[in-house]
Amino acid sequence: MQKKGILDARRSRKSRIKKVPFGSNCVRLSGYEWLLVGIVVSALFCFGPALWERLEKFEPQPDYRLPSELSNDYWLFNRYCRWACSRYETLVIGDSVIRGDYVDKNNTLSHYLNEIVGRNQFANMGVDGVHPVALAGLLRYYGRDISAKNVILHLNPLWMASPRLDLQIEKEYHFHHPRLAPQFIPNIPCYKDSYSRRISAVVQRYVAFLSWASHLRITYFESLDLPTWTLEHPYNNPFKAITLELPTYEKNNQNEPISWAEKGIAKRDFQWVEPGTSLQWSFFQRSIEILRARGNTVFVLVGPFNEHMLKPKSIDTYRKLKSEIEAWLQRNNVPYYVPPALPSEFYSDAGHPLSEGYAMLAKQLFENEFFRSNILYSSLHLPIRE
Amino acid sequence: MLFHTWPFVLFFLVVYPTYLALKRTRFRLPWLLAASYFFYACFSPLYLILIIYSTLLDYAVVARMAKSSRQRRRSRRKMWLSISIVNNLALLGFFKYGGFITDNLNVLLSSLAIPYAIPAPGILLPVGISFYIFQSMSYTIDYYRGNIEREKSFIKYATFVSLFPRLVAGPIERAQNLLPQLHKTPRFSKQDITDGLSLFIVGFFKKVALADYLALYVDKVYAAPEQFQSPALILATFLFSWQIYFDFSGYTDMARGVARMMGFRLMLNFNNPYLATGLGDFWSRWHISLSSWFKDYVYIPLGGNRKGVFNTYRNMFLTMVISGLWHGAAWTFVIWGAVHALGRFLTRELESTSFYKEKVPKIVKQLLVFVFVTFTWIFFRAETISDAWTIVTRIFSSGLANPYCPLLALALIFAVWLYQFFYESTFGWVLEARPVRIGIVILMIFYLAIFAPSSEQAFIYLQF
Repeated sequence: MQKKGILDARRSRKSRIKKVPFGSNCVRLSGYEWLLVGIVVSALFCFGPALWERLEKFEPQPDYRLPSELSNDYWLFNRYCRWACSRYETLVIGDSVIRGDYVDKNNTLSHYLNEIVGRNQFANMGVDGVHPVALAGLLRYYGRDISAKNVILHLNPLWMASPRLDLQIEKEYHFHHPRLAPQFIPNIPCYKDSYSRRISAVVQRYVAFLSWASHLRITYFESLDLPTWTLEHPYNNPFKAITLELPTYEKNNQNEPISWAEKGIAKRDFQWVEPGTSLQWSFFQRSIEILRARGNTVFVLVGPFNEHMLKPKSIDTYRKLKSEIEAWLQRNNVPYYVPPALPSEFYSDAGHPLSEGYAMLAKQLFENEFFRSNILYSSLHLPIRE
Repeated sequence: MLFHTWPFVLFFLVVYPTYLALKRTRFRLPWLLAASYFFYACFSPLYLILIIYSTLLDYAVVARMAKSSRQRRRSRRKMWLSISIVNNLALLGFFKYGGFITDNLNVLLSSLAIPYAIPAPGILLPVGISFYIFQSMSYTIDYYRGNIEREKSFIKYATFVSLFPRLVAGPIERAQNLLPQLHKTPRFSKQDITDGLSLFIVGFFKKVALADYLALYVDKVYAAPEQFQSPALILATFLFSWQIYFDFSGYTDMARGVARMMGFRLMLNFNNPYLATGLGDFWSRWHISLSSWFKDYVYIPLGGNRKGVFNTYRNMFLTMVISGLWHGAAWTFVIWGAVHALGRFLTRELESTSFYKEKVPKIVKQLLVFVFVTFTWIFFRAETISDAWTIVTRIFSSGLANPYCPLLALALIFAVWLYQFFYESTFGWVLEARPVRIGIVILMIFYLAIFAPSSEQAFIYLQF
């Protein structure tokens, strides 16, 4: 009797579980169909970006540099790396100082270096706004093809000029290239993005398709996602916006090339962060390790910072900082050059030289013994024009 | 933790395999309950106190009702039911309507020239409170009515109230449907997992690719309606009608998909509502779990349609107004409910005429219902009554300036509407073809991977 009661109760429960309709559409796939979807999606994820490279023209002219507007396009940086590594012996990597934000492409450091050696040996790999924390991420995830090359790695001391620029403040600070910075470990105090966006940044580093999708947004949709772009261009056909030709932006790319004094910039006291506690400096060290681990010959160029802009107290601290950096580079057998400050009128601001400044810097580099032995002589054995 | 974010993916990647490993053990439900409470605590740990309190109280109330039944003391059963209802409504009243009530009292005091203002409670509305309280109330009421047996296991009952896929935005499940599923060991097949994935991807697409896209234009116009003219206001309202549908039905699809993968069948909550041919039909297709809840626990107890025409309309009106108020603590929601009630009256009368029933084409009926429902959404979406009034008047009286409404948004809506139209037509078999189903899923995945909006928008119904 008891057993019958239990059975009745079970039957009663079963009969109460109503049949629930699947949904209000028939997008319902079986296991086999999901497998097909998985295969097609995986194939397109794997081969889509490579196929795209065949369709989208990328033929950099001499002295090519990544446009500032595309500085967040890491997929393009990766593509440019591969192209540059196959054609140039030496890559000059750094931020907007290397890129040459105040000069046109024919007046950058790499251009003047090429002029001195008489051939296209140096590639301008400068990326606007890429501070050392972001640079380490850029090289680690998007610069994997830089191997067995000569690399001139530039350190712009401006990134250590205050706790804020060194990313050590607690208050939220929207710095450049947050998606290249470490998302979780080590913790960057001023980086307060949501967990969802951080995980998305990590996933994008390992899934080339997603960074390619980001390339489309940045290059063809003015760095906007498609919905926001259509709000700006409501009647435009989004497919027509994808022209398969990379914009160069050179004509409207230049900041005014006048000296800092003419701009009326006053002398300043910077709150230099010591190298021993500097986040930016520790990540710069990582960049050196990453490049060396890939068999690259790394030559470090420090500055030259516009010391004319510093107040006396700040100059002393800055010189101490420079000698600590030099000491570390020496201890770790990293060939380097710390050029003296350029003439005041050759600077546009705290760190960016004007074209005369780059020309002078190129000459100084060329005359530097470590540069010649590590970069010039280690490249193809061709005569160098004196 | 929203379904369409990475933290949820990580959460599910931990919870689901563990659930599968524990599914035949006695730890299955405690694990599910713990996961659900963790999910809820991610919104705010303080919310947990509320849901646990509500769960404990209703569990205890039904236990006392059961004891009173055994002792044949019906009046005590009614008392316990009243305690449950009063408690639940008090929680809702305090957390959801506290600010609304004090604002209106202050307006009244001010109009009576009384120089005193009641301080606003300033309490944050706990996410999902309207949903789980209604779900819990349905259990106590159904038990009182003798429609269900008492759930003796607190773990099972607590899991019923807080099951994470449906916790923060429904569907509002009935105990008759969900509790028996918690009793048995889940035996879900490969088809349940694939069905769950199918539901999830559709819901994800609706939310991220469609709802969040439409929100960009709607928010721009509704934030400052006085700056826009008739075409922009009409289009923004039209887009909002689809935005709210995609947002809410997208969430429900994801919730059902996740639950399905765990072997739970949650009720269908949206059934192509914009293909309704009458307002009664609309409410049998829109937020079905809520409309059926109001029908069973408000409309029918008030008398339903059993006491003459006047009482029928009175009951309908009260039910719709309360339903409007459930959505939000503002007069705009009350007006929205009231206008819907008036619409119900009208369609009831129309549908009783042979001309409307037999001569008016189905598509015209669908269009009329859609236009009416879209009009009512103005009150739902507008920030204030004044804004709603501005929008309504400007739609009919302002100029015809270019609305600059993205054509792509309109094209996507048209594509969805066409799909739904075909789905319910005699040509629905075309959509069931394998290449069509597979092609749609592939297109959705690619659209999401390449073109999805980069900003995350919360679900609209989370605010209820």
